[in-house]
Amino acid sequence: MQQRKIRMLTVVGGLLAGMMLLGASAAQADITGPMLANTCAGCHGTNGISGGPAMPTIAGMPAKYLKSIMADFASGKRPSTIMGRLAKGYSEAEIALIADEFAKQKWQNAKSAPQSKMATAVDAKLAKEGEKATKSAKCDKCHEDNGVFQDDDTPRVAGQWLDYLRFKVQDLKNPELKVPQADKMKAGIDKLSAEQLEAVAHFYASQK
Amino acid sequence: MTNLTRRTFIKLTGGVAAVGLTSFGVPAIAGEAKQKVVVVGGGYGGAVAAKYIRMADPKVQVTLIEKNADYYSCPLSNWVVAGFRDMALQKWNYEGLKKHGVEVVIDEVTGIDPAAKSVATAGGKKFAYDALVVSPGVDFKDFPGYDAEAQKKILHAWKAGPDTVTLAKQLAAMKDGDTYILVAPADPYRCPPGPYERASLVAHYLKKNKPKSKVLILDAKPKFSKQGLFQEGWTQLYGFGSDNSIIKWVSGAEGGKVVRVDAKEMAVYTDNNGFEEKHTGACINFIPPNTAGKIAISAGLTNEGGWCPVHLNTFESKMHKGIYVVGDASASGGMPKSGYAANSQAKVVAAAIVAQLNGKQPGEPSYVNTCYSMLSPDYGISVAAVWKFDPATPDKVKEISSGVSPSKAPDFVRKQEALYNESWYQSIMADTFS
Repeated sequence: MQQRKIRMLTVVGGLLAGMMLLGASAAQADITGPMLANTCAGCHGTNGISGGPAMPTIAGMPAKYLKSIMADFASGKRPSTIMGRLAKGYSEAEIALIADEFAKQKWQNAKSAPQSKMATAVDAKLAKEGEKATKSAKCDKCHEDNGVFQDDDTPRVAGQWLDYLRFKVQDLKNPELKVPQADKMKAGIDKLSAEQLEAVAHFYASQK
Repeated sequence: MTNLTRRTFIKLTGGVAAVGLTSFGVPAIAGEAKQKVVVVGGGYGGAVAAKYIRMADPKVQVTLIEKNADYYSCPLSNWVVAGFRDMALQKWNYEGLKKHGVEVVIDEVTGIDPAAKSVATAGGKKFAYDALVVSPGVDFKDFPGYDAEAQKKILHAWKAGPDTVTLAKQLAAMKDGDTYILVAPADPYRCPPGPYERASLVAHYLKKNKPKSKVLILDAKPKFSKQGLFQEGWTQLYGFGSDNSIIKWVSGAEGGKVVRVDAKEMAVYTDNNGFEEKHTGACINFIPPNTAGKIAISAGLTNEGGWCPVHLNTFESKMHKGIYVVGDASASGGMPKSGYAANSQAKVVAAAIVAQLNGKQPGEPSYVNTCYSMLSPDYGISVAAVWKFDPATPDKVKEISSGVSPSKAPDFVRKQEALYNESWYQSIMADTFS
């Protein structure tokens, strides 16, 4: 009987707590980093580890880098297909939450995508030529350690999905697009032909 | 609130009484009983909800009940119809979800009891839940002439599976000069640009293989998703607008509204200003009016329109507390019935359920849609949008940004979007099933 009384108290306490919660329900809890970042995962993969050859893995990239990319997408400075339309949908604070969330995740090198029929396979011979090209064009001045290095201005490119890298080097060489990175990388890009840039993509994709 | 009360009720009544509340009558010490979530339907919505609940709170026990052991994806299935993709690439399974600790049960849910908080299956099992996710996708309304017999000859193939392959065979069996009739449904329905992507890819196939054949789209609607971009592409690729156009689109106002189907005659009849007009085709692809999956209807989760009204901040049903409806079956306040929207809604539901089971307020939701359509294997277009929930307009999600691919984009952009489409598929399927 004594025990039962105590339990009754627990019930009352529970109800009170519930009522307090109900009272607070007019204002929803704030939006969280995972809530925002998970909306990206349909394309960029769970926790930012992409499963699609043309979608970049963004897990573990520096938050500051991700924030600047999103700002450039939203302003149109960085050309895109859909990212500009999406980036405009978030406030600066929300972008910061998204960037922090992906920065916390652990990078994983791209794996094969057996159910992709359009994916380009890494070609070892091309990768070798690409390695030479990165040396002659001094890509490794910023993309140090064969592309493993990353900082606030430089994304990791080693082990990134090949088709994403192919698109990016094609964009760099495309005068119609005016890619902002092309300014910084101009000297290097000018030195390399489209074929050599393709080889560079194969090289970085082949790195771990 | 309900959950809190119920848990304390279990505590109060003690372990012996609680036995009756657990599934299979497995004895459990009530104080240690895990919170249970049951998910009905393992597609773009349900599978994601199950996985993301487990990722957010591994203490929650999640059981996914799905009728079919293999899952066939609708996105990219139009490529199969047009003969440039193998159906095997559309096939997925539930092994990946098991690695997240989701209990997967292959069985059909036949009944939901919101009062007792349990679901019953065709296999004769009962599952108790603290929160239920219902993600059954769509079913189809009855339509004059489209009975079981007619459905053997005239396919909709609006759920990917064996019919997708049969439709591809019907297309391949057409003689040069034959007509492919595609009947597009009235809004709302699964995959708004889907019928037009299918028409495009069928036209691509015909252009290459049966150049005298045509695609006739008979539409209940006055306009359709991504219409400007589709028509621009059709003009470029298939002579749209000219006398020799491979694709002809007839809107509802111009006599495109189909009123009955006749499988014996291989014909559909439209209403042309009060007069019935007969259209015959060697291949008829009839997409009937859509409705929420049958289980949602029998569980009393639908409104008079056949869709499930939900609170747009959590996707909890307005009909029954503790039940969350995601994906195509929901009345989603302006979001399209797309795989990506279902994925996004499922993550909101996962967060809301985990918050509520832990006695917390659900956070503010965020929704995204990203959807690609193909006009040929080298020609992709897209639509993307971001939405929020605004308590001031609770019946409609608030669009923060949106847009479609630019008009008159250079060929390389269309080609890039085609490859993005396939990569989108790879990534979202991994997000769903791995």
